[in-house]
Amino acid sequence: MPLNIAILAIYVFILVTLYALRQRIYFIRWAMSFYAAIPSFVAVVVMTLLMGLIRQVPATVDNGDVLGFSKMLSCWPFVLVYWWAATILGLVSIRSICNFRLKQIPFLCNHLGLFIVLVCGVLGSADMSRITMRAQAGQAEWRAADANGNVHELPLAIELKDFVLEEYPPKLMIINNTTGESISGDNPNQMLVEDSVAVGELDGWKIEVLEVLDMAASMVEADTIKFVEWHSVGATSAVAVQATSPDGSVVRKGWVSCGSFAFPYQSLKLNDEVSLVMPSREPKRFASNVKMYGQSGVQMDTTIEVNKPVEIEGWKVYQYSYDEFKGRWSDVSVFELVADPWLPYVYVGIFMMLLGALFMFIFSDKNVRRAEK
Amino acid sequence: MISWNDFIYFALPAVLLWIVGAYMALKGREKTAGGFTIVGLLVFGAFIAMMWCSLERPPLRTMGETRLWYSFFLPLTGLLVYSRWKYKWILSFSTLLAFVFVCINLFNPEIHNKTLMPALQSPWFAPHVIVYMFAYAILGASAVMSVYLLWSKKYHDSHNELAICDNLVYVGVSFMTIGMLMGALWAKEAWGHYWSWDPKETWAAISWFSYLTYLHMRLGFLKKTKASLWLLIISFILLQMCWWGINYLPSAMGSSVHTYNLN
Repeated sequence: MPLNIAILAIYVFILVTLYALRQRIYFIRWAMSFYAAIPSFVAVVVMTLLMGLIRQVPATVDNGDVLGFSKMLSCWPFVLVYWWAATILGLVSIRSICNFRLKQIPFLCNHLGLFIVLVCGVLGSADMSRITMRAQAGQAEWRAADANGNVHELPLAIELKDFVLEEYPPKLMIINNTTGESISGDNPNQMLVEDSVAVGELDGWKIEVLEVLDMAASMVEADTIKFVEWHSVGATSAVAVQATSPDGSVVRKGWVSCGSFAFPYQSLKLNDEVSLVMPSREPKRFASNVKMYGQSGVQMDTTIEVNKPVEIEGWKVYQYSYDEFKGRWSDVSVFELVADPWLPYVYVGIFMMLLGALFMFIFSDKNVRRAEK
Repeated sequence: MISWNDFIYFALPAVLLWIVGAYMALKGREKTAGGFTIVGLLVFGAFIAMMWCSLERPPLRTMGETRLWYSFFLPLTGLLVYSRWKYKWILSFSTLLAFVFVCINLFNPEIHNKTLMPALQSPWFAPHVIVYMFAYAILGASAVMSVYLLWSKKYHDSHNELAICDNLVYVGVSFMTIGMLMGALWAKEAWGHYWSWDPKETWAAISWFSYLTYLHMRLGFLKKTKASLWLLIISFILLQMCWWGINYLPSAMGSSVHTYNLN
C-alpha cells in the first residue's frame, strides 16, 4: 500500500478513536470548541501572513534562512499549524456525522469539504507529477523531463504538426531617444493599428497610417530602409506612417517595425528628443496542433492551447512554452504534463465547499439569528 | 465606439443620481431613494456593458477596470442593505465610496487597451472576478459598519447593527469562497494545479481565514464585540492587500502570475 494512503487511513482512524474517547479526555472536547478554533485560526492567519510578507523561494535553494520562513511550505511551524486546523476540522466533522440531521448539511459541507481539500491536497502532492516535454515539429516525442532534469519515458507520444502563435495587431508608441522609455510614463499611451485605424493621436503627435504589412522583410536602400511583403519564415510586421508634430512644424514619414529573429527592429526618429517605435506584438493565442498516441492504442488529432489542456492516459497535457527567440515562427512547442491521481478527491472537497458557500448565502439570515440566541 | 474618454458622461450622472438617492434615504423617502439609485446603477451599468462590447473582451483585466465594477457593486450592495434593514445612512456611505473609486478612475486613468493575454481567455475569467468584486463591495460595507460602531461606541447595545455586520459577512464570505474555488478550478485548467501558493493565492487564503475567524468569534464569543469589530477592520485591510496591495509588496513583485496590468 502506498505510504500516503496508509497515513490517511491511520490519521482518520486516530481522529475517530479520539472522538470516541471525548467523554473521558477533556482535551478532545476542548479541541472541538470555539476555544480551540479561534487560536487555531489566528495561528493559520499569522503563519500565512508571514508567507505573504516574506519572498518565497523553492525549498532546494540555499539562502541561509535559519528559520525557514522563506520556504514556508516545508517550514515546521506552518505545517503544524495547518495540520492542527485540519485535525479540528476532522474532529468536528466526525461529531457532525455522528449526530447527523438534515440541517447539519451546510456545516458538513464547509468543514468536511475543507478537511478533504487540505488532507488530500497535501497527501496527494506526493503522487503528483509535473514534467515538461519539448516537441519538435514533424517528430513524435515520448520523453519528458522533471524539475531535476531526469528524463522519463511516458506511456504516450505526441507528434507536433505545427505550432500557432496568433498576435494582436501591432501598436505604436513614442519613446525618449536617450532613455528609451515611453514619454507618457509608466502607463504609456499606445496606438493600436487595427484595420480600421488610419489616423490617430499619440502624445500630441498626429499619426497617419499609410501602409500595414503583416508579413514583411526589410530592404536597405541607398539612404533609407524600406519594408516589402514577404511571406516566409522570419517575416516581421511593419507599418508605414506619417507623423506630424503637435505644432505642425515637423512632418516625418517612414517605416516602423518590431523586428523578428531574422530582421532588426526599425524606429522612426521624430526629432532630437523622441522616436516612434513598435513594441513587440502581444500574443493572442498559443496553440499546438498535435497527434497523440496512447500505449493502450488510442490515437487522436487535437489542438492543445492555453486554458484548454487535453487528457490522455491519465495525464493532462498543457501548452507551456515555445521557442521564444523565434516567436511566431517557432517550430518547437513545450508541453507540461501533469498527473494528479488524488485530484478527484480534492474536487469532491471543493464541490462540497462550493455547496457550503451556497448554503451560507441562502441561510445567512438564519445563521445570524442562531448566533443571537 | 465607446471608450474611457466617455466615462465622465456616464459616471457623473450616475453619481449625481446616487447622491439624490442617498439624500432621499436620509429624508426617509424609501421608494424615491431606491428609484434614483437604480437609475444610477442602470446608467453606470450601461457604460460597463458598452465597454465590454467595444473592448471585445470583459472589462476585468486592469485595476481600473476592476474599480469600475467595484463602483457599480457598492451602491448595489448599499441598496440591498437599505431595502432589507431600512438603514438610512448606508446609501450615503456606499455612494461616497463609489464616488472615491470613480474619481480614481477619472484622475488616474490607466492604459486601457483591447489585448487580453491567452491565460485570461477562459469562461472562468468573468465569473471569477465579478464574484470577487461583489464580495469585496459587501465586505467593504461591513467594514464601514464596524468603523461606525467602534467610533460611536454603541457596540454593546446595537444588536441590529451587529446583525447587519454578521449578515453582510456571511454573504460576503460565501461569495469570496465561491470566487476563490472558481479560481482554483480555473487554475487547474490554465496552470496545471488548483493551488500554487502564488502571492495572490496566499493573500486570498489570509483574508479568507481572517473573515472565518470573525464568523467563529461571533458564534463562540458573542460578548467580545469590540475584538470582533476590530477583527472585521483588520480583515478588510488584509483583503485590500489581496486586491491591490500585493502590486506594491516587495515579497510579491515579479513572482505573481496575477499581475496582468504591467506592460
